[in-house]
Amino acid sequence: MKSVEKKRRKLRICIVGLFFVFFFSVIGIKAIYLQAFCPWLNDRALEEREKSLIFRGKRGTIYDANGREMAVTSADVESITAHPRHIKDPRATAQALSRALQIDAKTLNVKLESGKSFIWVKRQVGPRKSRTVKDLRLKGVGFISEHSRFYPSGTLAAQVLGFTGVDDRGLEGIEFYYDNWLKGSDHKLTVLKDGFDRKFDTEENTDMSYSGKNLILTIDKTIQFITESALEEAVTDFSAKSGMAVVMEPDSGAVLALAHAPVFNPNSFGKFDRDLWRNKAVTDPFEPGSTMKIFSAAGAIEFGGCTPDTIFFCENGAYQIGEDVVHDSQPYGWMSLGKIIKYSSNIGSVKVSEMIGPQLLYKTLRDFGFGEKTRIDCPGETAGTLSFYRRWSKIDAGTISFGQGISVSAIQLITATSAIANGGMLMKPYIVQAITNSNGQPVESFGPRKIRRVVSAETAEAVRQMMKSVVEKGGTGEKAALKGYSACGKTGTAQKIDGKGQYAKGKYVASFIGFAPAEKPRVVILAVLDEPQKNHYGGTVATPVFRKIAYETLNYMNVPPRHEKKKLTASVAGDQLPMIVATVNGSLSMDHGE
Amino acid sequence: MKISELKTIGIWIILMLIFITQLLFYTWCRVQCVQVGYEISKETDKHRKLITLQNNLKIEFARLKSPKRISKIAKYQLGLTTPTQKQMVIIHEIR
Repeated sequence: MKSVEKKRRKLRICIVGLFFVFFFSVIGIKAIYLQAFCPWLNDRALEEREKSLIFRGKRGTIYDANGREMAVTSADVESITAHPRHIKDPRATAQALSRALQIDAKTLNVKLESGKSFIWVKRQVGPRKSRTVKDLRLKGVGFISEHSRFYPSGTLAAQVLGFTGVDDRGLEGIEFYYDNWLKGSDHKLTVLKDGFDRKFDTEENTDMSYSGKNLILTIDKTIQFITESALEEAVTDFSAKSGMAVVMEPDSGAVLALAHAPVFNPNSFGKFDRDLWRNKAVTDPFEPGSTMKIFSAAGAIEFGGCTPDTIFFCENGAYQIGEDVVHDSQPYGWMSLGKIIKYSSNIGSVKVSEMIGPQLLYKTLRDFGFGEKTRIDCPGETAGTLSFYRRWSKIDAGTISFGQGISVSAIQLITATSAIANGGMLMKPYIVQAITNSNGQPVESFGPRKIRRVVSAETAEAVRQMMKSVVEKGGTGEKAALKGYSACGKTGTAQKIDGKGQYAKGKYVASFIGFAPAEKPRVVILAVLDEPQKNHYGGTVATPVFRKIAYETLNYMNVPPRHEKKKLTASVAGDQLPMIVATVNGSLSMDHGE
Repeated sequence: MKISELKTIGIWIILMLIFITQLLFYTWCRVQCVQVGYEISKETDKHRKLITLQNNLKIEFARLKSPKRISKIAKYQLGLTTPTQKQMVIIHEIR
């Protein structure tokens, strides 16, 4: 009996054992099958667990010459996206989003019904709107964190800097020209998510290595502000249509300031007229008028054997060339070359050009860089117009010598004048002095570059002396004289050409180009006012701009004024001691330095 | 029960204990790993937020340093002006 029971028990155990073996084998085989022969299951599991996000590195910062931020990238502005395939009720979603974001519901509805896998609902929305949409908890609506560009100084140097679009791509100015350097690179980041959609074990975010490069400009924020303020004041005072002013370091060709009036705010560029976006000092040519006489005079001294004392007969105010008559504002008889520049005689200038001939005048102007691009690092540069001398008529040779029948850009004019200021060397103008990586280490640097010697140092000095007389009593630019500093300059007043190619009545371009101090120029300044209404002479309209910019800039640059009083002498321990400029009479000077 | 049988049971119990301990240890490690993963994500987020805050403060600082704003304060609040030539005394050092 016992052995039968024992046998039955063993049989039961065997059956149960076989049962378990069978089922565990089935489970095991299925597990091996799923693991080894169903790779799509693995992909599906990874798809649910891992999320790959595309990130764009931060756009590089633009600094001024002293390392002060001019354009920065602020992080984490949210953009709202939608995945139409996951939206069950597009109409209701469109209405809810349109209410929250103040966008057209119909247009959005069309987009949501398109069946696309991804659409942008609104790019770069404010935090409040983003929160409102999040609170709606709409299915198929997502949020992407993006970078946005910010210009902390607002309108300052807006035309130089330009701006970027919503895709973080440069659209104008330096932002456009150096876009390949500034833009960050795209990188893929894998994020692991759990069943509650919480992130864990995220890859190390090395955003720095994907950031764009930084730019260090030659522009000095303070000089830029001085220049913009002076220009704006003159544009308002003389009811001018617009104006531009450029400040350049003559020895290097570095642009210290490049101002336009009116300005626009690159933080909200869409609200301003497109015409204001352009860097007109580089892109727009204009007839320079009498400022060109200094280059004609330089040619006469360099190639024509003239000296500032060589005399010319100025025909008592009217000089016939073929069918045309050239006039002076006042009748002059015999005048030296120096006086022709001082009083800005058109006839005298024509006589000078006749003496050196069209070929040498053309050569001089081409050598100074007119009729070709300066290759400044700004987009859309114009070459201006200077036709070949063999195509000139008799009157052309005369008028070109005093700045009519030729067009130049502001940057060409100031670069050429810098060559006179620095002793005859034409320098390449530049606006970016270095490119650095995200750690601030230099990647590339741009220094002064000589293009060619235009005139000898002696000729440049002779022209400088003549330009100095312009700013002295009786000269056309006497209002540009600075208290405490010697200055050189030349006025220009040019009638504008209308759409028909005729000179327009009452429309002028008033300009002044000069540099200071005369002995060792530190800054060259050009001021141009377009269509001033109250007065149109460069000597009245543009000289105050030069005077204000020059005085405040030299003060800021710690260039001491000439002093009639006895100098105080201080003895301080130490080998290297900078010169100290103190103020008296209870007034304080602003320290603009860093 | 024989001693040899007890010995066998004892060995089995020890083996099972080792196995279970190893299993528990492995599970604990995995849980810790996931937990640390969460903490890293949390700290990374915190770090990112702090960097954003620092960046925003830098931007605000740059905005406050704007020459236009400083000039306005200097001119209208503090009554400062650019010194004239007469107000400047140049002090040269003796070398």
